[in-house]
Amino acid sequence: MFLAAFTSTGHPEVSLDATLLSRLLQKDVSAFEQLYDRHSRLVYGLVLRILQQASTSEEVVQDVFLQLWRNADQYDSSRGPFVPWLCTMARNRALDQLRLKSERQRRREDQPDELPPLVVAPDYEKALDEKRRAERVRALMASLAPQQKKAIELAYFEGLSHSEIAAALKEPLGTVKSWIRNGLLRLKEGLRATT
Amino acid sequence: MKNCEQFRELVEAYALGALDPEERAALEAHLATGCADCSKAVEEARWLVSQLAYAAPEAVPSDMLKGRLMQSVRADAQALSETKPRVMPSRSVISSWLWAAVAALFVFSLYSTWNMRRLQDEIRQANDRAAALLQQRQKTEQQLAAAKREAMILMDPSSVKISLAGQNAQGPQLEVKWHAQLGVVVMGENIPMPSPHHVLQLWFIPKAKGAKPMPSMMAWPDANGKFILLISNPPESMDATKALAITEEPEGGSPWPTSTPRWSGGVS
Repeated sequence: MFLAAFTSTGHPEVSLDATLLSRLLQKDVSAFEQLYDRHSRLVYGLVLRILQQASTSEEVVQDVFLQLWRNADQYDSSRGPFVPWLCTMARNRALDQLRLKSERQRRREDQPDELPPLVVAPDYEKALDEKRRAERVRALMASLAPQQKKAIELAYFEGLSHSEIAAALKEPLGTVKSWIRNGLLRLKEGLRATT
Repeated sequence: MKNCEQFRELVEAYALGALDPEERAALEAHLATGCADCSKAVEEARWLVSQLAYAAPEAVPSDMLKGRLMQSVRADAQALSETKPRVMPSRSVISSWLWAAVAALFVFSLYSTWNMRRLQDEIRQANDRAAALLQQRQKTEQQLAAAKREAMILMDPSSVKISLAGQNAQGPQLEVKWHAQLGVVVMGENIPMPSPHHVLQLWFIPKAKGAKPMPSMMAWPDANGKFILLISNPPESMDATKALAITEEPEGGSPWPTSTPRWSGGVS
C-alpha cells in the first residue's frame, strides 16, 4: 500500500502524515481535520497563486480535500509521497478551473475525479519539514534569472506551454525551453545539495 | 527519431505540462514502449515539479471553508456509520428476543387455529343457508309448477268433474277434476283435520271385478280447512276407474284402506 511510501521515511512529519492517513482509511473525521490543518495553507496558497481569486480558490481546495476524504481507500503506495501528491492534485484542479474560466479549454465532465499521476521521490530526497522545504524552494527560485523564473512560473502556475510562454515573453522558443529545463535542473541540484 | 537521451531532455517540461502537443505525443509514444529509464525519469521529474508548490506563498483559507468541509465530512461519516452492519446483541438479549419470538409465534398459531375454525364454521353456516335457500327455491318452484298444473287442470274444459260426497251429508264435500294428460286435482273447503298422527289418502277404485283399490297421494287440510291434492300420475285410463275415495290413514299412508271412506264418488 501507498502508506509504505510515507512510513519509509523516518522524518516525524512524514510519519505523522502516514498515521493520519491510515486513520483516514477508517473514515476518522479527526484525522481528516488534522491533515487539513497541517496542509491547507500550502494547498490554498498554491491554488490562490494560480487562480488569484479567493472564493474560487476555496471552492477548489474544498474539492481537493473532499476528494482526499472520499477516495483515500483507493490510493496505493505507487502514488508516492503524500504532500507532493496532494499538491499535484490541487494544481491540476486549479489549472482546470483557470482554463475553464478563460475558456481556453473546457474541462471534460468525465474528469472530475481523475487522480494525479505517479509522483516518486528521488533517492536523494530526504524528509524536510514543510517550513524548511518552502524556504529552500523559494530561495532557489529567487536565485534564477528573472526571465527564467518567469518562464517556470508561467508554466507551473498558469499552465502555459513552451510556445505560449515564448509568445507571452516574446522570446525564441528554444530559449524558453532552455530556461525552463535548466531552471528545473538547478532546482533539482539545489534540493539535492540541501539534503 | 529521438533516442532516450533526447527524450530525457523533455521529461522536466513534460512533468511541468509545458510540452507542445507534438513533443508530448512523441514522448508519450516512447514511454508507451516500456522504456524503464525514461519512465523513472518522468516520475522523478514529477516530484521535482511538485516542489514548485512551495514557491507559492502560503495563505490561510477562511474558517468558513473549514466549516463547510468538516460539515460535509461529518455528514458523510454519519451516513457511512448508519449503513454499517449493527453489532450483534449479547447472548442474553438474543435469548430474550428468541423467547419473545417463540411466544409471539405460539400466540399467533393459536389465533390462526381459532380463526381458521371460525372461518370454517362461517363457511359451513353460509353453505347451509345457501342449501336451505336452494331447497326453499326448489320447493317454491315445485309449488309454483303444481299450482300452474292445478290451474290448468281446473281451467281446462276437457277436465272431468267428479264430486266426492262425505259420510255426513251435512258435511263438506270434495270436488275432483280429472284431466286425461295433466292429472287429477282434489280440492275442498272447511275440511276437518284427520285424527292425530293420521293423514287423508286418496284411492282409485278400479272397475275390474276383484281388483283392489290403488293407493294414491296423501295430504292434510291447511289451518283454514282448505284441502288440495294434485296427482300428476293417475291411472292411464279414467275409463278403467270405477270410483275415487278418501280415507283417513296412519301417517305415511297405507298400501290398502284401513278405514271406511270419509269421501267417495263414482267416475261417470
